[in-house]
Amino acid sequence: MYAIFKREFLSYFRSPVGYVALSIFSFLSGYIFYTQFAYGSVSISTEVISLRSFFVIIVPIITMGLFAEDKKRGTDILYYTTPTSLFSVVLGKALAAFALYAVMFINVIIHIIVTVSCGGVFNVGDFGAIIVFFFMAFMFIAIGLFASAITDSQIVSAIVAFVFILVSQIISVISGYVGTAAGSMASTLGLSNSKASSIGTAVTNTITWFDPFVKTQDFSLGIFSVSALFFLLSVGILFIYLTYRLLDKKRWSQA
Amino acid sequence: MNKEIINENKNNDSRADKLKKYSLASVVLLAAIVILGNFLLDKVFGKALTFDFSYSSQNSISQPSIDYLDGLSPDTHIRIVGLFNRPNNVDGTVYQYIIPLLDDYVKKGDGKVSVEYVNPNERPSIITELDPDNSFDLASRTDSFVVSCNGRIRVISPIDCYYYDENYYSTYGTYVITGNNTEFTFTNTMYALTQGISKKAYIVSGLKDDGNDNLTKILESMLMEVVMLPDSDSFEIPDDCSLLILNGPNSDISEKMYVEISEYMKNGGKLFVAVDYNTNNVTEKYDRLNQLLNQMNINIDPLLVYENDAGHQLSGSAVNSVVTVSDEFSSYVSISYLTNSYARNVRTSDIPNPDFVTKPVLATSSNSQTLMLDSTGNVVANGVEDIGQHYVAMYAVKDGVVPSEVFVFGTMAFSSDDYISQHSLNDINVDFFRACIRELTDTSVDSQINILSKNIDSYNIDATKATTSTSTMMLVIFMLIIPIALIALAVIVYFKRKNL
Repeated sequence: MYAIFKREFLSYFRSPVGYVALSIFSFLSGYIFYTQFAYGSVSISTEVISLRSFFVIIVPIITMGLFAEDKKRGTDILYYTTPTSLFSVVLGKALAAFALYAVMFINVIIHIIVTVSCGGVFNVGDFGAIIVFFFMAFMFIAIGLFASAITDSQIVSAIVAFVFILVSQIISVISGYVGTAAGSMASTLGLSNSKASSIGTAVTNTITWFDPFVKTQDFSLGIFSVSALFFLLSVGILFIYLTYRLLDKKRWSQA
Repeated sequence: MNKEIINENKNNDSRADKLKKYSLASVVLLAAIVILGNFLLDKVFGKALTFDFSYSSQNSISQPSIDYLDGLSPDTHIRIVGLFNRPNNVDGTVYQYIIPLLDDYVKKGDGKVSVEYVNPNERPSIITELDPDNSFDLASRTDSFVVSCNGRIRVISPIDCYYYDENYYSTYGTYVITGNNTEFTFTNTMYALTQGISKKAYIVSGLKDDGNDNLTKILESMLMEVVMLPDSDSFEIPDDCSLLILNGPNSDISEKMYVEISEYMKNGGKLFVAVDYNTNNVTEKYDRLNQLLNQMNINIDPLLVYENDAGHQLSGSAVNSVVTVSDEFSSYVSISYLTNSYARNVRTSDIPNPDFVTKPVLATSSNSQTLMLDSTGNVVANGVEDIGQHYVAMYAVKDGVVPSEVFVFGTMAFSSDDYISQHSLNDINVDFFRACIRELTDTSVDSQINILSKNIDSYNIDATKATTSTSTMMLVIFMLIIPIALIALAVIVYFKRKNL
């Protein structure tokens, strides 16, 4: 697994992809930090929680080539023929992308140093926000990895990952529409207005429950929720397993 | 040979089919475990596994609230209903410090507190369910919380949970929050509902006075029901009045009011009066009010207290100064020096009433004097009185089966909305005011739960370091130099490796 991790991690810096992702992240985090700094009040947790919104841009860039590129070149056959387990391959690639995220995070560490040296505050609440940031990165990287495994086109992979992450980002908006539609439907079916609206609210709440952004929103207030972290971790593991099963199925179908 | 190949293909197909089924089943099983596991964790342990790491524990209830909840009988049920859908994102909203704290009440309430969010537009029956008599007009308060217990309710508006800069609000119409009072408000509301309300305070309004919102908050937190008593021709003091308050009138009381209050005081009434010397009442002599107070041996002079002692002045101001608490009242607060601002001189009346015993409450230094000002704020001719000690607050009591009592303050630095909003409920002057109210209503300090206000978290950076030039430097480094340098590296790598 280490060999896979090392190869994938270094490959980010042997191509423009790693630098472009780093550059975008630096610009976006720099923008959030600068706007706070210019206002004279810097909350690191707010910066970190705001950065979650940019997963939709950065994750597809760093995950699109993880499997799609190998499949396009035909080098994916090596996964199936080398003595390394397929799960190690999937995990090694996921960790490489995750490590790139850690490298990107150096920007925020610099911001923390600047904030503290300017008399600002960095406390345990901010630390909680950083933890949730990495858990969320893990989940979205797993989703991006899965998107990369289902196609041999990097563009298609990036689009699929983008759509997945975008949908997860607007679940609460979607849930509002779906809830309203469900309420209207229930009303049309002859239910009383209060019952119909209760159904609508229940549908909205059920869909919103899956929203990782809503689950982690309160971290910016210093609230640390273990169940939110467990959600991110378990969904990430689910997608890693999905990716593994997908490749495993291909191995046997090729055989 | 052909048969062997066909058999082998069949075996391969069967194995692939089995593998496919296995893959599908394992993925479905894992997904089900993930959803179910998360659901159970969230619903069963979600609140227990949530921790408040905020800078000043904004999202946690403090020990007095926990002790109060622990002391409630196990069958107590306090229901808190937010009359709106729970917002997904409370950060930056007026609910930022309220909703997470309410979650903590549920977490630490041991089943005695429940919080729910019901939008009356979606469930109109919630209005009649909570307030069958429509006494609180809940339909128009859809941003508020209703606390319900023992068949009684109280309504809490989000802004009740904060202190804000009243001057800024009156000028610009927007709130600048200065302190978080959420826990104080909710815990004392619960306390009032579970303990019962025994006193009723009436605040006289309509005398060009300023608002009494913060005063109301203080009295309600002391388990009093607060009712406004407007100035009118039919002014009458109800029989259930435990305390009458004249807070910052800028005009004199009416004849009807004089008669009613006189009668009230003869029958063991409790009165609190506070006026000051400001631009709105500089020429007001309060003749009728003085006529009333003279019955209790007290007089408010139309004179501004001017402190000459530099040691008593606040920031070099002779009209904002420190006053000494008289020995008789020193047990009210832990320190003997309080502040006052633009105070009127309060003294004993010229013709004493032997039925009343009068005591000074707050005194200036012996080096103060009084000034008479005109409407422009200038000292009138011969308007400078002798130097000596002056009083800015006095107390009078008439013994009897039900003693009549009055506190008269010549300053608003204890009870005005403006002062309280700027200094919060933890202020020592406000604490002194509370003690005066306790004296008048004969209630003990246990009649409310004392919870300190929380300061709003400040993420401000050193203004001397966060200058415009530093900000520009941040902009250039973080948004230009670093991203461009990385893009340049990407271009170099691309051209170096494109032919490999």
